[in-house]
Amino acid sequence: MAEYAIEMRGMVKIYPGGTVALKGVDFAVREGEIHGLLGENGAGKTTLMEILYGTRSPTEGEIFVRGRRVEIRSPRDAMALGIGMVHQHFTLIPVFTALENVVLGDEPVRSAGLLDVQAARARVEELMDQTGLHVPLDEPVENLSTGERQRIEILKMLYRNADILILDEPTAVLTPLETKELFAFLKRMKEEGKTIVFITHKLREVKAITDRVTVLRRGEVVGTVDTAEVSMEELARMMVGREVLFELEKKPREPEEPKLTVEDLWVRGEGGDYAVKGVSFEVRGGEIFGIAGVEGNGQTELVEAITGLRLPDRGRVLLAGEDVTGARPHHLYARGLGHIPEDRHRRGIILEFTVAENSILGLQRLPPFMNKWGVLQESVVRDWARKVVERFEIDTPGIDAPASALSGGNQQKLIVGREIMKDPKVVVAAQPTRGLDVAATEYIRRTLLRMRDEGRAVLLVSADLDEVLMLSDRVGVMYEGELMGVVRPEEVTLEEIGMMMGGVRLEDIKGGGAKAEAESTGG
Amino acid sequence: MQVAELLRFLLYPTFYAGMLRMMVPITLGAVGEIISERSGVVNIGLEGIMMLGALVSTYVGHFTGSMVLAMVSGLVVGLAAGFLHAGIAVNLAGDQIIDGVGLNLFAVGIGEVLLYLTWGSFATSPQLPPEVRVPSIHGFSPFVVLTLLVAAATWVVVEKTRWGLRLKAVGEDPVAAEAAGIDVFKVRTIATVVGSLLTASAGVFLSLDWLGAYTKNISAGRGFIALALVVFSRWNPLTALLGGLIFGFLFQLSQSIPSGVVPDQILWALPYLVTLLISAGFLAKARPPGAVGRPYKRV
Repeated sequence: MAEYAIEMRGMVKIYPGGTVALKGVDFAVREGEIHGLLGENGAGKTTLMEILYGTRSPTEGEIFVRGRRVEIRSPRDAMALGIGMVHQHFTLIPVFTALENVVLGDEPVRSAGLLDVQAARARVEELMDQTGLHVPLDEPVENLSTGERQRIEILKMLYRNADILILDEPTAVLTPLETKELFAFLKRMKEEGKTIVFITHKLREVKAITDRVTVLRRGEVVGTVDTAEVSMEELARMMVGREVLFELEKKPREPEEPKLTVEDLWVRGEGGDYAVKGVSFEVRGGEIFGIAGVEGNGQTELVEAITGLRLPDRGRVLLAGEDVTGARPHHLYARGLGHIPEDRHRRGIILEFTVAENSILGLQRLPPFMNKWGVLQESVVRDWARKVVERFEIDTPGIDAPASALSGGNQQKLIVGREIMKDPKVVVAAQPTRGLDVAATEYIRRTLLRMRDEGRAVLLVSADLDEVLMLSDRVGVMYEGELMGVVRPEEVTLEEIGMMMGGVRLEDIKGGGAKAEAESTGG
Repeated sequence: MQVAELLRFLLYPTFYAGMLRMMVPITLGAVGEIISERSGVVNIGLEGIMMLGALVSTYVGHFTGSMVLAMVSGLVVGLAAGFLHAGIAVNLAGDQIIDGVGLNLFAVGIGEVLLYLTWGSFATSPQLPPEVRVPSIHGFSPFVVLTLLVAAATWVVVEKTRWGLRLKAVGEDPVAAEAAGIDVFKVRTIATVVGSLLTASAGVFLSLDWLGAYTKNISAGRGFIALALVVFSRWNPLTALLGGLIFGFLFQLSQSIPSGVVPDQILWALPYLVTLLISAGFLAKARPPGAVGRPYKRV
């Protein structure tokens, strides 16, 4: 047997539009190891693995599987070679059942192509028993949790007898407990002789589970090392190319009177069920109030209800003491709300519009940008846009360039800049650093802290636990639409936060802590 | 008493034979479009494909005197239109709506030009000789049987077979389907071509069975009614058959009620008005395939 299960040589990928994602990457995975692929967003990890799985075509480069040169033009080719992949964004058909999703593409049939549902069920149930990964087979996938969806994706790979498993950021959507289970499962798979590529940007996970790790930075390999021989600090340096600032300077500050108050808020989600169930908290001037939790536990709906994008069923929202429950966004903006939305392409900017046009979104109807005849004052807009670009160090070809010409980090700076220039009393920031590189992330975080120091109230909702704990003065943890507890970051351990993210209430942790822990890990 | 007299036609089998005939073209078109849309490809060129099927089969029938050649040629046109639409909408990821509009306009234009150039008439071709026309069996058209079989078979294929599962997967989420190892382009192309073929067979029915000639505006909006029927059926071929029967009944009714009772214009408009109401009522509630109308591109 060849030493390497996979070898990729000189991989180059240039996207249409000229972005160079990979600049000649050499990557090799040994038979039977767990190999980490570490790098920041945009380092090229996913692109490299999508080439291996055949969902993207390389511009240049050769691939060898078990020493044999292969052409992989589609996932079919990859599957035939025993390669399976769990994508970061799941590739499941929402309206299909779990069973249909697992067997899709390799369905057992009787004569004339008729599906053999019994045979399919028997095979998948056997697989579930072997692996210990159980999911309800007859439920449409759209009704299942993200953890269950991930198990379906893994079953899908194993159903096709994949022995080289690629997992792209598999823990991003999991609770700490689910992550623990996943790691135990991966180790079992390794003992059974499977080869695993584990894509991540989390150093702790690399140390916890991988045998070797390859670090990518901006489309190039920084190095491949034995995990046991490097420290987290060394890995971090390889990943970002400089020492990372793990701590931001945060001055102590006395909070002032409440500027945003949420009282017993009940909000329905897309499906019509309650996504937010009686949440109450207040954010004071000069304070960052963080909301942590695994995504999909009602954070999105909570933010939408506060920012006027979704009507709450019950409860109240007060902005600087004024009841604004159910008010329209423009009404809220006029009363001092700034909003950095979760999905910046859908709600933060309009990609086809210019930087200048985007810099006044939400202000366009107000003087001095519009005169009394309803005509936009172009020179005023342009002066304003130049100010935003300068003050927030936005790297752009010019204020007339379309927003789509900016990198993700600079698009986000444009949004943040615009919202701050409105001089808001309250800022709601949802996933403000998602997908950004280190420099932009740091810039945005500093800006949020500055807003706090200026006496504004900041509500920070983020799935990045480190970020929430680093920036917030107080943190509420959301689980299935409820706050499990509100804590000060310095008075809580990571494990306690993790338990709250997994559905244990703060009072149960502080009270009979051992009992609650036993219950949460026992299942 | 008078109403009962007026509705006497409901007692005669000819009414129901006629209703079943009226059901044929819209149902064939709708079932074809369901296959296409379940794969994610919208083809609003149904009307045009029906016309082309009718036109070419009339033409070939007229000049060769062969019913078989006439039918085959009509179907070949359906294949060609299907491959054209698949080429543009699937492989080139072009705009599916504009492409379909173009097909409709082309069919209207070419029909009028050929009618005039060949037979010197803007309105109609000469009647086809009897040996070219599809014979009825006990007053019932064989196309009726074909339509029932096609609807039932399509349901079985979509709901019970491997092909159906892959068809739906591609129409719901092509990225996920591709990741599961399915050739999205192949499935969409086949679905589009089969859909177009069924629609063209509706056109063949109109000329060789129903009218025995090609007339201007021979499809009379049936392609568009079929599109509405797709929504009404919620992409289920059996429900489309049911809807086809309802429309067949309305069409036949509008022709059977003696004139003078209700203004003719209202009678003639009846099926179309019902289409409008049904589209408005059902469109809001229906849940189309997740990726319908969206071209799939690989990066």
